[in-house]
Amino acid sequence: MEAFEYSLAGVVLLITFWLLIARRVRGAINGYAFQSIVLAAIAGATYLQSFRLHLLLLATSSLVIKGVVIPLVLRRQIRATVYDKRETHYYVGFPTALLIGMLLAIVGFVAANQLAITKDLLGQPVSGVAIAVVLIGFFIAVARSDAVMQLTGLLVAENGLLLLGLVLSAGLGLLIDFALLLDVLVGALVMGFLIARMNSTIMSTDTGELTRLRG
Amino acid sequence: MTGSILLLLLLAIPLIGAVATWFIRSTRLLHLITALAHTAVLIVALVLLSMLLTRNAPRAFGNLLVLDPLGGLVLLIVAVVGFTSALYSAGYLNHEVAHGAVKPNELRRYYALLHIFVFTMLLTSVSGNLGILWTAIAATTIASAPLVDFYGSREPLEAAWKYIVLTTAGSMIALFGFLVLYQAGVHVLGESYDFSFTALAGVASRLPAATALTAFLLVLVGFGAKAGLAPMHTWLPDAHSQAPSPICALLSGVELNCAMLGIFRVFSVTAPAAGLNHLRLALVLFGLFSLLVAVAFLVSQRDFKRLLAYSSIEHMGLIALGVGIGAPLAVFGAMLQMVNHALAKSLMFFTTGNLLLGFRTRAIAEVGGVVRVMPATAVLAVAGGLAIAGAPPFSLFISEFSIIAGAARSNQVFIAAMAALLLVVGFIAIVAPFNRMTFSTPVEGKAAAVAVNPIVLVPAYLSLAAVLVLGVWVPGPLHDLLSGAAALVAP
Repeated sequence: MEAFEYSLAGVVLLITFWLLIARRVRGAINGYAFQSIVLAAIAGATYLQSFRLHLLLLATSSLVIKGVVIPLVLRRQIRATVYDKRETHYYVGFPTALLIGMLLAIVGFVAANQLAITKDLLGQPVSGVAIAVVLIGFFIAVARSDAVMQLTGLLVAENGLLLLGLVLSAGLGLLIDFALLLDVLVGALVMGFLIARMNSTIMSTDTGELTRLRG
Repeated sequence: MTGSILLLLLLAIPLIGAVATWFIRSTRLLHLITALAHTAVLIVALVLLSMLLTRNAPRAFGNLLVLDPLGGLVLLIVAVVGFTSALYSAGYLNHEVAHGAVKPNELRRYYALLHIFVFTMLLTSVSGNLGILWTAIAATTIASAPLVDFYGSREPLEAAWKYIVLTTAGSMIALFGFLVLYQAGVHVLGESYDFSFTALAGVASRLPAATALTAFLLVLVGFGAKAGLAPMHTWLPDAHSQAPSPICALLSGVELNCAMLGIFRVFSVTAPAAGLNHLRLALVLFGLFSLLVAVAFLVSQRDFKRLLAYSSIEHMGLIALGVGIGAPLAVFGAMLQMVNHALAKSLMFFTTGNLLLGFRTRAIAEVGGVVRVMPATAVLAVAGGLAIAGAPPFSLFISEFSIIAGAARSNQVFIAAMAALLLVVGFIAIVAPFNRMTFSTPVEGKAAAVAVNPIVLVPAYLSLAAVLVLGVWVPGPLHDLLSGAAALVAP
């Protein structure tokens, strides 16, 4: 059973790297959806180990909200011109981004060791993956100049935190986990709304064009 | 029992208000319903606070919703500034509609979001569970980002995007901290436990030290970004200058305090294990750096709303500094500073809102002769400028003096000297522009300022009266509340 979860965690990390260098908005959103589905599978697997009903509910609701609803709504709110856009800009080059991503992954694994996390349902390696995903997600959010990509970065970081929550404590309790999910859902919708506004105001989702406020 | 019903009522009122605004077409009725809802919130909050001070702490659903003195202090701030901002919104938005800057049908969206924004801040103040606390603080950004973008042009959009991306990233770092804190609790309380600060406070000294310290630092950096502590403050001057003025009053006066509450909650449960001195040192460093950055930008500021935004960073830095210094006088001063900042900063955003309505510019250089064109607002600008800068007899003088005196008396002379020096420079940088705008001759071609509706003056004068009264006399119940809150952040 553990081997299965470890390989799923590996898939989550691989998708994160793929999102790091994704060049199309369409690909990034699909990648996020796929990553959320794999995460839901990990939550489902931990349910099979412990048979805590709360984990099953967490698995199904994140599958529905993060794997289906958020990607679909983003797809609807972001117009076709943006959705099919090929080039998305980095403030650093793609090879540099990949290199930084690898460094962040190493930092994640070292940090997981340092934190001396007790072995709960999943082990230390998964928490290393989780912290790496969080860090790379943040990096995507700050280093990309496209607004949709920045949003994807934040969502990926949140996925990493969900994974970390699963490793550390099998979630924080039903009510809190649902409150968190609701927060993510509404947050993604509001950011999607702002992206749609950006598209109609500056005819682009490149935040590099939004630099009027200074001092 | 009554306590739990009142807590639920407190949270229900803004939600009902939000739903109600969706069905109302009449502008006048929208203003009225909002003002009534916020009056009701204020009354319920005051009843809850009196229960807290005279009887037991009100709570609902076990430890899920709890009102303690620290949360009560923030509740008081949310309720009072929510009330004045709701009143101010009516007058301000009527002007904007008459001027054509806002379309009448946009008011419903404004008020619905305002109610939800206030709901998230009320929930922050009464959360007893740390998971709910995190959710509520993160939700304040989500509810208010569309309000920052309310005017719908390019600059507000840029400000709203920067605001939501940076503070959401901050909230996620804080969530990381909360997960680590939960894990620290697992060592003592077992695998599944009630993640409330009441439960954690009971075992606080037995938490693993390194894990507790990691949790606090993550939360400090994460919510520090939301509270506008430097160097994570870069979104703040943009968001606080682009939002409509009544929203600025809430963003600056209340939302920053809510983020501070999140930091202090985690501070109080991690301090016994992680070592009080480590945690205080971290707060002092962030506090002093925020003061330094704020003052540097205050000196060169040309936009009067950005001036106020940097003054908020200065005040948040002082609050962090006061708790970091740790002497009882300084901690008490920091708690009083939270209240004073909320009152004075909302007062100043109402005042500059009036200037904006009259002059249609945020540039300090383009505003002049306020005393002749808008005499009632001129009084507010001069008195309020002195108040936020920390001049006696206004209440900020008392709280800022307490923080510095607390540092000096507990042999932290360097900190006291640094803070005092920065405050003096900041004082001049804040007072000078407001005096210049008030007394200088009107700028050519900009003199045709319009008269403002008296409604926009009432909430501002109420706040001014409060800052004046608190400067000479802190009422007994408020003093009890402040001491109770100070006791929680100085374990």
